[in-house]
Amino acid sequence: MDIVKKIGFVLLGLFIVLNWGLLMAGIMRKIIARVSMRRGIKIFQPYINLIKNYSIRSQLTHGIMFYLGPVFRLSGGVGIFLFMPMIYGSDIWNNFSFTGDLILIAYFMFFGMLGMALGAGEGGHPYSAIGISRGLAQFTAIELPLTLAILSIAIQYQSLSITEIVAAQQGSILNWTLFTNPLATGAAMISFLGAMGHSPFNVVMAPQENPVGPPTEYHGTFLGVLQTNRAILHVVEAVLYMNLFFGGANNWIELIVKTFFIYFWSVFVGMVFPRFRVDQSIPWLLKLPVLIGVAAIIVFIV
Amino acid sequence: MVSPISSIAVLLGSAFLVGLFKKTSYSFAQMLSLLAIAFPLFVSAQWLIHFIGTSDGAVMLYTAGAKPPFSVSLQIGMAEAFLTLAVNLLGLLSIIYLMKPFKELGVKALALLLILVMGLNVIILSRDIFNIFVFLEIASIALVGLILLGKRKHTYSAGFKYLIAVAIISSFLLVGIAFVYYFGSTLNIDDFVAQNLIVTKGLSTALFLLFIAVLLELKPFPANGWALDLYEAAHPGVGALISGGTATASLYVLYKILPMGADYWSDVLIWVGLISFLGSNILGISQKNANRLLGYSSIGQIGLLVAVIGFSDQLGSHFEAIFFSLFISHFLAKVGLFWLSGWVGKTELTAWSILRTKPWLLLVFGIFLFTLIGFPPFPSFFGKWQLIVDLASEHGFNWIVIILAGSLFEGIYLFRWLGYAIKGEKSTENKPLLDWQTALPIGLFALLIIGAGYVSNQWMPNGQSINLIPVFFILALFVLDFLPAWIKNTISIAGLVVYGYLLYPELSDDTLRLVFAVIFLGGGILTLIAGYSVKGKRAGFFPFALMMFAGLIGLVEADNLLQFFFAWELMTLGSYVLIIRGKRSMLHAYNYMLFSLGGAYLIFMGMAMATAGQSGISLEILRTTAFPGWTYALMAIGFLTKTAALGFHIWLPGAHAEAESDVSPMVSGILLKGGVFGLIVLFLAMGGEQAQANPLVYVLGWLGAITALIGNLIAVFQEDAKKLLAYSSIGNLGYVLFALAFMSNIGWMTAITYSLNHFLFKTLLFLAIGGVVLRVKTHNMHEMGGLIKQMPLSFIAVLIGIITLAGIPPLSGYAGKWLFYNAVIAQGWYFQGAIVFFAGTIAFLYCFKLIYAVFLGQPKDKFRQVKEAPVWYIIPQIILIIGIMVFSARPDLILKPVGELLSGSAYFPTDPLNWESVTASTNLGYWSGYKIMLVIGVMFMVLLGWLLLMSRKAQKIKQFDIVYAGETPFTPGTTHFSHNMFAPLYRAIGFLTLPMITQSWNRVNSTVHDFADSARKIYSGNGQSYLVQILAYVVIVYLILF
Repeated sequence: MDIVKKIGFVLLGLFIVLNWGLLMAGIMRKIIARVSMRRGIKIFQPYINLIKNYSIRSQLTHGIMFYLGPVFRLSGGVGIFLFMPMIYGSDIWNNFSFTGDLILIAYFMFFGMLGMALGAGEGGHPYSAIGISRGLAQFTAIELPLTLAILSIAIQYQSLSITEIVAAQQGSILNWTLFTNPLATGAAMISFLGAMGHSPFNVVMAPQENPVGPPTEYHGTFLGVLQTNRAILHVVEAVLYMNLFFGGANNWIELIVKTFFIYFWSVFVGMVFPRFRVDQSIPWLLKLPVLIGVAAIIVFIV
Repeated sequence: MVSPISSIAVLLGSAFLVGLFKKTSYSFAQMLSLLAIAFPLFVSAQWLIHFIGTSDGAVMLYTAGAKPPFSVSLQIGMAEAFLTLAVNLLGLLSIIYLMKPFKELGVKALALLLILVMGLNVIILSRDIFNIFVFLEIASIALVGLILLGKRKHTYSAGFKYLIAVAIISSFLLVGIAFVYYFGSTLNIDDFVAQNLIVTKGLSTALFLLFIAVLLELKPFPANGWALDLYEAAHPGVGALISGGTATASLYVLYKILPMGADYWSDVLIWVGLISFLGSNILGISQKNANRLLGYSSIGQIGLLVAVIGFSDQLGSHFEAIFFSLFISHFLAKVGLFWLSGWVGKTELTAWSILRTKPWLLLVFGIFLFTLIGFPPFPSFFGKWQLIVDLASEHGFNWIVIILAGSLFEGIYLFRWLGYAIKGEKSTENKPLLDWQTALPIGLFALLIIGAGYVSNQWMPNGQSINLIPVFFILALFVLDFLPAWIKNTISIAGLVVYGYLLYPELSDDTLRLVFAVIFLGGGILTLIAGYSVKGKRAGFFPFALMMFAGLIGLVEADNLLQFFFAWELMTLGSYVLIIRGKRSMLHAYNYMLFSLGGAYLIFMGMAMATAGQSGISLEILRTTAFPGWTYALMAIGFLTKTAALGFHIWLPGAHAEAESDVSPMVSGILLKGGVFGLIVLFLAMGGEQAQANPLVYVLGWLGAITALIGNLIAVFQEDAKKLLAYSSIGNLGYVLFALAFMSNIGWMTAITYSLNHFLFKTLLFLAIGGVVLRVKTHNMHEMGGLIKQMPLSFIAVLIGIITLAGIPPLSGYAGKWLFYNAVIAQGWYFQGAIVFFAGTIAFLYCFKLIYAVFLGQPKDKFRQVKEAPVWYIIPQIILIIGIMVFSARPDLILKPVGELLSGSAYFPTDPLNWESVTASTNLGYWSGYKIMLVIGVMFMVLLGWLLLMSRKAQKIKQFDIVYAGETPFTPGTTHFSHNMFAPLYRAIGFLTLPMITQSWNRVNSTVHDFADSARKIYSGNGQSYLVQILAYVVIVYLILF
């Protein structure tokens, strides 16, 4: 019975996350539009898109891997959700986080990327491969500051368990990693910019090219699956940063507020700064952010 | 028993008799000569058997019915019987070998040969220095006669130079003998020694002249230009007589007169010999003329033997065994090579590719060369081993360095030569006929080497500890080489299975060794299965494959240093031959061999230093070595050449990439673990956890991290699929080195997980890509594309392989990553750790490139008809995938016992890892492979089901049903994006991949070659300068001594 209840709550959590993800996407696009002096889409436009895509009857496929690509991608997003404790102190909302720790989430992120890259690859569209190669290359550089930050907080808390890391930040806002370990937070938040696919790190999403995100070759239900994933993934990635650096969440409201601002950080930077080319972004990421990450470790060694 | 004096009489008599025959009755003369040499051969054999069977001492024979000093005495003991046997056998076979050229020259050639053999017999037997001098002269004159009978370009000038040299050497000898007689009133060696004379200034000068003359007979470097010219100009059959015959006799003279001299003569012999060994081998490396090269090699080897005679006091009771094994190796191999050179007929090294027309000759050539270098199971291996171990116990480390350096230089030219023979361009000219007169002596000597190897093995202390069963099995495979490949393959697999079955009880409670045994034997079986796809005989493949596996498993079984080193060298030999089988592998196999050889000598040096001052050679003594710093550093570097750590990695990409499709997984997935196992043995000896503070370990940790980064990064920029996998191996072995260097329980768990994973996925990937390469006949990924439709099974294998490689959950690669994080944080190696993780993300790039460029994207027109890889390639892949799945779902089955073994041992008592059924945890985090697998599996299936439901009517479209840049493409060649795929990354950090290390090795290489090239200009070919060199040599040695 327990397992049925568990699965029920997991699905409910997933539903909440999906809805919040779609809504947040709508809000952010609205904000971007207004800042750019445009009227912008309706807040509920992502819902409309999703329903439309799932309802399209004609579907084309290039082959089995093309077909499996979106499945991999959505598994990646849902998987991270499953392995992530969402609400601190709640047994029902910690999902399946007992199976693995922070490292599991860090490495499971590759799962969706790989599947998507392969699926798009089978489409045979050269721009897919160009986008993917750029995206992956940039991703290696994005990961490095994050790795250093993760190492830093693992040293700080002597733990890789997300639940324990959140627990250590309870009590006061000053216990947040943001204040106790600002260097690691800084490195990680720069890394976050890359992960979210906004300027200055979004050349891989350039309009003509099929990147790690929803590509033009995918359509209909496939695109619907990818959009579903995007909504979920954006929320759970923000939840990850929230858990690691911003004290976690004690309830869903706190989660929604915090993830909003975390996600907004990437939108904000994206609106202010122009985009890098990939061969510019990699050296940039390997300089200042890595230095911050190294400093975040050095303060604990010394 | 027949007296050896009658041998001499028979030889002399028949030499005169033969001279009386005319050309018409030549064949009768020939028969007579054969019988005349067969007789002393029989006599020597009889005496040898007598001495082996009994413990009798040497027998003194007196001539002319009187005792010395009134007559000449001869002595025959074990040594004399053996050496005369060798010389007489050489004489007999020379007559056979030279049958055709002699026939043209007539009976005089036969007579000269008989005289030469007689001379050599007397030189060996005689105890009278003047008698020795006389017969040295007789032998020299006979030899000059034989040389001048040749018709090569420089024969006459070389003969003349030889005469001049011999004349001056004889003058020294004669004056020396005269003065020795003046001081000692006797010419008999034993009488002289018995007098125990006080060495006055005059006597020491007399002895100096005697010794220096005998030494000069042995052509010491650098006063040996005349000898090199002689080797080059003489008929190879005569070259064999010089190198094997006169040198043997002169060496024995040196040994006989050694007790006459003062103590310091031993040191002189050592230095003269070693300088000759080192110098001659250095100068040999830029030599391109085969006969002259053999000359360099002969002089080098004889130098080593001279040094061994000098070492006779230090070696004590081991001297005979050591001298025997080194001498017999030189004698059989060098003579055999001269004979082979006669068959090849051309002097350029590159012409030796003609040997490929007769595969068994190629095999024999290989046996000769490996014997010269000292590989097992040939006699010189055991000789060199014991020599060096004994020298180490005397703390003679400088000598060891010289011997090993000389051997390395010898390897440089000999293996280049072997490479030309195996892989050089095929000669277009007609192949020479192989008659029985050539085949018989060469074949016989090759067989004798194997026999001598057995004798050396049994004779040497600890030699009997070596398990020879695998060696005999491999020999049997050589014999069965005429069978079709599939039968031999089945025999080989059966051999491995049975061996594994028999070995299991021995290893069942040592999980650490068991894991490696599974990698070596299980991997061997799997990769051999792929070999069923090869049709025909596949000549020479299976013995060497089994040799490699026997070596690898021998490492696991080894209890003592000799067993370990024997196995190590056996593995190197087998793998070298496997690698060079690839179409374009000549250079790569050569590089592999040189790095392996250098590495092996470093390991050898380290082991030798460990034995110094300790009793026994068990692996345990590594722990109590008196020179921990040197021992460990040398051995570590040696093992790193095999695991291809950065700096020693340049051989790997070519060697792995150009090997045959089923050899690549053997040498990559399996062979590299040999180096890992070596490091494990070494690190255990260093004391496990207690060695954490050792700076060597810290340096190795950094080296591992940087290797991981650079290896992976270079892999990203490869266009050749197999090169990509090869560089990836460099990176992955970097991880393993890094993890081992933690010297902690969890670090080693990580390393073992990584080793096992690397074995599983790299064997899988190389098999899958090998299967693709077999079908599409190219390694270039940008020429492939879209093969998923034709080769779906290979695609799945590669997919599973790269998911494991990249460490993506739920597959077992993630186990390594998780353990890694925990180990890094526990150890505090954050920065090295960060580099390794960065390397891990970079690995993701080449993983994508590999699978995308080969299987996805646009299919090319020319590959529309290719089929799935052969089923024999698919079967082992399926087994490996099952292995990965099992290890992914239940890592505890392997890691738990390994962890218990490590924490139960004295080495790694601190065990931070706890297992609760299938969940592992440390004080940092936790991980449950089984549950992760379950969650991801269920989720994936649910989502797949959902998508299937939603888009069940999806319509399959064709290749070109895409649009870009305003048009529909129709040329797959220009639409498949895969060449220079990561150009932006290259622009950003590509400078890290510049081949700086390769360039530095190239500089080292060219410097050595340039040096050798300019140094050998001292051999100007001018007889007068040779004369000056001889005189200068004498003067300099004199000045150094007095």
